[in-house]
Amino acid sequence: METLVHILNGFTVAMQPVNLWYTFLGVLMGTIIGVLPGIGPSAGIALLIPITYGMNPTSALIMMAGIYYGAKYGGSTTAILIRTPGEAASVMTSIDGYEMAKKGRAGAALAVSAIGSFIAGTIGVIGLTLFAVPLTSIALKFGPAEYFTLMLFAMTAVSTLTGQSPAKGVLATVLGLIIATIGIDLQSGQARYTMGIPEFQDGVGFVVVVVGLFAMAEVFRGLEDIYRGTGAKAMKITGKLWLTREEWRRSIGPIWRGGIIGFVIGVLPGAGGTIASIMSYTTEKRMSKHPEEFGHGAIEGVAGPEAANNSDTAGALVPLLTLGIPGGGATAVMLGAFIMYGVQPGPMLFQNNPQLVWGLINSMYIGNIMLVILNLPLIGLFVRLLYIPQGILYPLIVTISAIGAYAINGSVVDLWLILFFGIVGYVFDKIDIPVAPLVLSLVLGGIMEQSFRQAMTISGGDLKIFYGSAITVTLLVMSVISVALPFIIPRLRALGSKGDES
Amino acid sequence: MTDRIILACTLLLAGVYFWATTKIPSLELGDPLGPKAFPRMLIAGLLIAAVMLLLEILRDNKRKIEEGSTAVKWRWEPHQWVVPAVAAWTGIYMVVFEALGYMLATAIYLLVLTAFFNRGRWLMNVLTSVLFTAISYFAFTKLLGVNLARGIIPF
Repeated sequence: METLVHILNGFTVAMQPVNLWYTFLGVLMGTIIGVLPGIGPSAGIALLIPITYGMNPTSALIMMAGIYYGAKYGGSTTAILIRTPGEAASVMTSIDGYEMAKKGRAGAALAVSAIGSFIAGTIGVIGLTLFAVPLTSIALKFGPAEYFTLMLFAMTAVSTLTGQSPAKGVLATVLGLIIATIGIDLQSGQARYTMGIPEFQDGVGFVVVVVGLFAMAEVFRGLEDIYRGTGAKAMKITGKLWLTREEWRRSIGPIWRGGIIGFVIGVLPGAGGTIASIMSYTTEKRMSKHPEEFGHGAIEGVAGPEAANNSDTAGALVPLLTLGIPGGGATAVMLGAFIMYGVQPGPMLFQNNPQLVWGLINSMYIGNIMLVILNLPLIGLFVRLLYIPQGILYPLIVTISAIGAYAINGSVVDLWLILFFGIVGYVFDKIDIPVAPLVLSLVLGGIMEQSFRQAMTISGGDLKIFYGSAITVTLLVMSVISVALPFIIPRLRALGSKGDES
Repeated sequence: MTDRIILACTLLLAGVYFWATTKIPSLELGDPLGPKAFPRMLIAGLLIAAVMLLLEILRDNKRKIEEGSTAVKWRWEPHQWVVPAVAAWTGIYMVVFEALGYMLATAIYLLVLTAFFNRGRWLMNVLTSVLFTAISYFAFTKLLGVNLARGIIPF
C-alpha cells in the first residue's frame, strides 16, 4: 500500500512543469544523439555531468535517463536511412530497415520502429515498476560480501559476453579496475599510482574516460572513414509515415515478443541492447512463415529488434536502481551520474528518497509519449541532422568533448586524458578489446574495493565470508559459469555435431 | 600477431603494476588488508587474462593450421596517417587551449580540420568555426556558468 502511495507521488513529481521540461530536454537530446553517428548515449550523459553540476538531482537524473532511452529511438532513424546504426543496439534494424527504405518503404520502417519502441518502451517501464519493489526487499539482505560477489558476477558476465574474445573482455575489466585504483585510497589515506601528477590524487574521473573512449575514439574512426571515402549517404524518406493494415498485422507480434525479450535481457547483466535485438531478430526469423524475406526488407526484422532494444533500457535500470549495480556501459555511466549528485542507488534509495526514484521511473512513461511524437510527426526535422556534413560534425564533437572535460576542474590534464583515452579507444576497437567492460569496472572499482575491505574487516580477515551465505555462493557459482561458458559452449557444439554425423 | 603483442603488453603491465604496488607505503591500522591487497588481486586478474589470451592464441593457431589459412601481412596504407595526424593536431589544440584561450584556439582548430575534411566549402567552414566557437563560449560561460579558458581575448 505504501508503495502504491509512493508510485502515485512519483507521478506528481514527474508531472511538475520543471521535470516535464527536463524530460523533454532529455528525450530531445537523446533523439539527436541517437540520430547523429559519432556520439552515443554514454558519452552524451557523461558530457552533461559537469555542465549540470548543482542542478536538482531529480531533474538532472530524469534528463539523463531521457537521453539513455531517447537515443534508442534516434538510433533507428540512422540505421534505416543510412544503414549505419546511429547507436550500437540498432545494428539489426539497419539490415531490414535499410532494405525497406530501398524499396520505398522508409516511412513504414520509421513508423514501425517509433511505434514498436513506444509499445515496448512502455512494457519495459511497467516491468520496471513491477519488479523494482520485490528486488529491493532481497537487496536489503545484502551485506558487503554479497555486494562484492554481485559486482564480481556483473563484471564477469559483461567481460565474457561483450566482444569476440572473453580473454580480451577480462583484460578490459581488469584495466578498468586498475584505473580505479589510481588516487588517494579512502581508507588509509595513502596516494596510489599517482605518478607524481597532483591531479591524479582525486583519481582519474570516469567522465574523461567515457568521453575519450566513446566520443573521441568515434571521431578518429569517422574522420578516417571520410578520408577513405567510406562515409555513408542518407536516403530520403519515401512512402507514407504510417503502416498498411498488412504491415501492422505482421508487426504487432514481433513488437510484443521483442518487448518481453528486451526487458528480460536488460535485467541480466552483460547482454545489453545489442544482444537483445539480435535475439529478437533470430526469434522472429525462426517463427516466420517466410524466413527468406529476412535481410530483404521484412518488417518483422525491424519491429522486433527495435522493440527489444527499447524495453532493454528499462530492464537495465532494474538492477541499477534496486541494487545499485549496473549491468553494462551506459548504465555504469548513469551510476556515475547518480554518485556525482550524491545519490546512491540501491534498496535504501527506495526507502529514503522514493520521490526521486518514482519520479524518475514515472517520467519514463511520459518520456516515451514525447518520443513517439518527436519520432513520428517531427521525424523530418531530425533527418536533416543526417545532412550535416560529417567533416564538420566530427571536429565539433571534439570541441564539445573538450568543453565538457575542461568544465570538470578547469584543468588541462583532463583535456590530455580525453585525447589519451580517445587514442586508446580507437586502438582497442582495431584490436577487438571491448570498452564497455572497462567503463563498468572503472565506475564500480572503488565501491568493489570498499565492500571487499569492509567484508574482510567484518570477518576479521577470514575469506570464508565470501562463501558463507547462500547468496554469495550462488553469485560466485554464476560468476564462474559466466567465465567458463564461452569455453564450454564451442566444445559442446563440437560434440553435438560429431554426434549428428555418427 | 596482434594477440601476441596484447599478451606481451598484459604481462608487462602486470610487472609494472606489481612494482608500483610495492612503492605504496602502508600503515596497517584498523584495516587488516591495507591499500595493497586489492591491487594484488588485480595483478592476479591480469595474469588470468594473460592465461586466457594464451589459450585463445593456441586455439586460433590450431584452427589456422587445420584450415590452412595464411596470416594477412600488415601493410602501411595511406589512410593510416589520418588518426596520428588528427591526434597530433588535437594535442596542439590542447597545449595552447589555456594560453590562447578557448575562443582563439578552438576557432583555429576547427578551421584547419574542417578545411581538410569538409574540403572546398570555405564559407560553410569559416562560418561554422567562428559562430560555433563564439556561441558555445558565451552560452557556457555566461548562461551555464562553466569556466572556459579566456586566454588572450579580453572578454
